[in-house]
Amino acid sequence: MRVSSLMVCTFLFVMAGLWMAAERGATQATVTENKALSEDLQKRAKQYLDFRKNVAGNAPRSTDTPANITKAQKKLADKIRVARAGVNQGAIFTPEIAEFLRHQIESTLTGPDGDKIRASLQHAEPVQITLQVNVSYPEKVPLQSTPASLLSKLPELPKGLEYRFVGRELVLRDVDANIVVDYVPNALPS
Amino acid sequence: MRRSSNAQLLLLFAACTSVYANAQQLTPRLPLQKNSVRFAVIGDSGTGDQKQYDVANEMEAYRHAVGFDFVIMLGDNIYGGHQPKDFAQRFEIPYKPLLDAGVKFYASLGNHDDPEVERLYKGFNMGGERYYTFKKQDVQFLALDSTYMDPKQLAWVDQTLKSSNARWKICYFHHPLYNEGKMHGPDLDLRNRLRPLLMTYGVNAVFAGHEHAYQRLKPEDGIYYFVLGSSGKLQSNDFHHTKLTEKEFDRDRTFMLMEIANDELYFQTISRSGETVDAGSLGRQAAAKTASAGH
Repeated sequence: MRVSSLMVCTFLFVMAGLWMAAERGATQATVTENKALSEDLQKRAKQYLDFRKNVAGNAPRSTDTPANITKAQKKLADKIRVARAGVNQGAIFTPEIAEFLRHQIESTLTGPDGDKIRASLQHAEPVQITLQVNVSYPEKVPLQSTPASLLSKLPELPKGLEYRFVGRELVLRDVDANIVVDYVPNALPS
Repeated sequence: MRRSSNAQLLLLFAACTSVYANAQQLTPRLPLQKNSVRFAVIGDSGTGDQKQYDVANEMEAYRHAVGFDFVIMLGDNIYGGHQPKDFAQRFEIPYKPLLDAGVKFYASLGNHDDPEVERLYKGFNMGGERYYTFKKQDVQFLALDSTYMDPKQLAWVDQTLKSSNARWKICYFHHPLYNEGKMHGPDLDLRNRLRPLLMTYGVNAVFAGHEHAYQRLKPEDGIYYFVLGSSGKLQSNDFHHTKLTEKEFDRDRTFMLMEIANDELYFQTISRSGETVDAGSLGRQAAAKTASAGH
């Protein structure tokens, strides 16, 4: 009887050890996988900007007249649209990257500061527009503010690109050309 | 032709008499000390309607009396489109007398602003950046982009405040960290991120807009907080009436005049009709002295 109790205890101890090792292994695998996805996104973002520079030139510069700025912005956007004609949603936010971003957002929103972030999203005057890759973000629709805590959990983007929310979608916006480069549908949990 | 010229003369005369009439009723409450830093504050101004123009006229009248030479803008500088006509109607025409007098406007970005057009527009003096800093005598100003407070900007705020040896540090941006307005309320997530930096580096005063009313809050962590989002827009009956504020006003559009002299910050909040709705002075905080001495 005493022997069998000892065996049971040993068995349970070994099983717990194996389970913890498996968990640690899985966590390590997830961290490695997330790092790879993050790097993949940053690589694709940089490729987009390099491509933009090649086909459309540099971003607009400071000037006294808003007319010159909007004209330069439109010219840049038009060249990009022609060069990227036929590109669809998912070219930069691939299904794997999109899933990773959704996970990052959800885990942040269910974390200890989730309520505050949700409140910030509500106070940021949420907007609703129909999204389409390569289309200009509507001039008269305000840009919804992106909470700082969410930005800290998403992969850093190179200068010239930014994340914005539109409804539940996460948009990758070319800030110099004011166009939607890509988006993640249903990025915010319902 | 002659009729048109007469009409223009009449309009000019009306404008002059209006400014003159206003000048007669001005009641500056600033000490106007020698070598002080004087500026005006506007927020959520860019509607392009008559009420914005009325506030702008009042500002021009007070410029003659007070002599401020720059204005800080708390965001939502241009509502709606961002075509040249929008900049003209919502900025260049209403503030023309101020601009002609050499007054500089330093803008921060709100959710209704187009960051890429506005940061490049020289009239807003943003140096092509979405967030930036400038110094006037011993006062360091940080204009932040609260619509996109990414880790890069937070690191910049940290570094800029840490390296500043200015006697006064003032931050301004669009979304209020503290706010008892019903329309938006405080941005709690932004507060979580910014508050530690403001405290650590001894920021003295913070200005925000977004809520379309005026509030002077009770100091939080020893920092003076102002909300002014009513230089064009207005949200009447906007307050929860908690004990968060020292003074609140939501009956008309407003702008502020500020004067910083040595260890004192003087303020005067003026409504569109010329009424002084709040005024006073605030001392430079001991905590700020300690913090700046420590860094």
